[in-house]
Amino acid sequence: MSDDESDPARNEPSEASDGAALLADMKALRRRARTARHAYWFPLVLFGLLTCASVPFYVLPGPPAGGTEAVSGGPSLPVLGGFAGFTVQHFLGYYWLAALLGGLLLTLLWYRWNARRVGLATPARGYVVTTAVLTVLALVIPLLSQVRSPRWLSWLQQLSVLWPGDLILRGTFPFLIIAAGLWVLAWAERSRALTVIAAAYTATALLASLYNIENVLFRLGWNPSGNDWSLTALPNVLLPAFVLLATGAGAFAVQRPHRARP
Amino acid sequence: MSPAKDRPPEPPEQPGWEHPTNGLDETVHQRHRLGILTITDEAQRAEFGYLREALGLTPGNLSKHLTVLEQAGMVEVEKGYAGRRPRTWVRITSQGRAALAAELATLTELLRRHTPARDA
Repeated sequence: MSDDESDPARNEPSEASDGAALLADMKALRRRARTARHAYWFPLVLFGLLTCASVPFYVLPGPPAGGTEAVSGGPSLPVLGGFAGFTVQHFLGYYWLAALLGGLLLTLLWYRWNARRVGLATPARGYVVTTAVLTVLALVIPLLSQVRSPRWLSWLQQLSVLWPGDLILRGTFPFLIIAAGLWVLAWAERSRALTVIAAAYTATALLASLYNIENVLFRLGWNPSGNDWSLTALPNVLLPAFVLLATGAGAFAVQRPHRARP
Repeated sequence: MSPAKDRPPEPPEQPGWEHPTNGLDETVHQRHRLGILTITDEAQRAEFGYLREALGLTPGNLSKHLTVLEQAGMVEVEKGYAGRRPRTWVRITSQGRAALAAELATLTELLRRHTPARDA
């Protein structure tokens, strides 16, 4: 676009052909700005790495004796950390609380830094607020059922029925929180690709929450014995992590050429 | 701009008919100002340097256009610093967003009216 302000009349098209050219120019400007501000590879890779880092918390301590072992003692965070007996590592809930909130903070800082670098800001506040609120609700709602609240607040305790047990059984509910955040981020980024990624990740997170993926590996020939039994919960963690890391790496490769300023 | 003789025939005026160009806002209907609104509508806010480079404007000319839009209440200009470097950010207002939508709708309608006449 040239700087021809000296002749304003030239800049005021009245013909349909000029209108078509103007619309095409605006479409190109919008597309260029959208491409330049896309930066969602970072949260994908970050939460993929945080999921990988959670693996030690999903390793079972020993061979099953009539089922997985349960831990005892101390408070746990059932929505974020799963039920004892399925996820025996007691600190899983605390790990995810710290990982989700820390990941959000890093993502917020990333988007601020990227806005300064590119010159275009993405409204990431909705993503941060959505994920933070869901994390806090996952933390608070189970606690409400344990405290005696005034009658007029009893409806809050009823919220606990909103958490379907199957979704929190395996300690994979944080994946669904991440998935919800990705939908909001896809809207903020106005990215069809991220919408597809969010849909694929949501499906994976639901699968990991509702099904023991190791059963598929058993059918494929994996026959864990001895200490290998302690690893049987890991496919439910590694599959969502793989989806995040693979799509994050792909997004990084696509967005890299556009990171330079116009 | 194409010569007048090449123009397709205008549709006959009907009672209540209004030419789409009547809906054009002079403040917005300028290529660079429309570009500023388009970019700031896409992002939460846009930095002065990005707008200058994307639109191919000199700093002085961009400032003039921003002043026109700011006085019309269509954008807000925020000045700040990134370290020691001064930064100017431009944010579109709801009024600017509405004006941009109206302008694009008018241009689209103008295009729509002329396209069938050419095809015929």
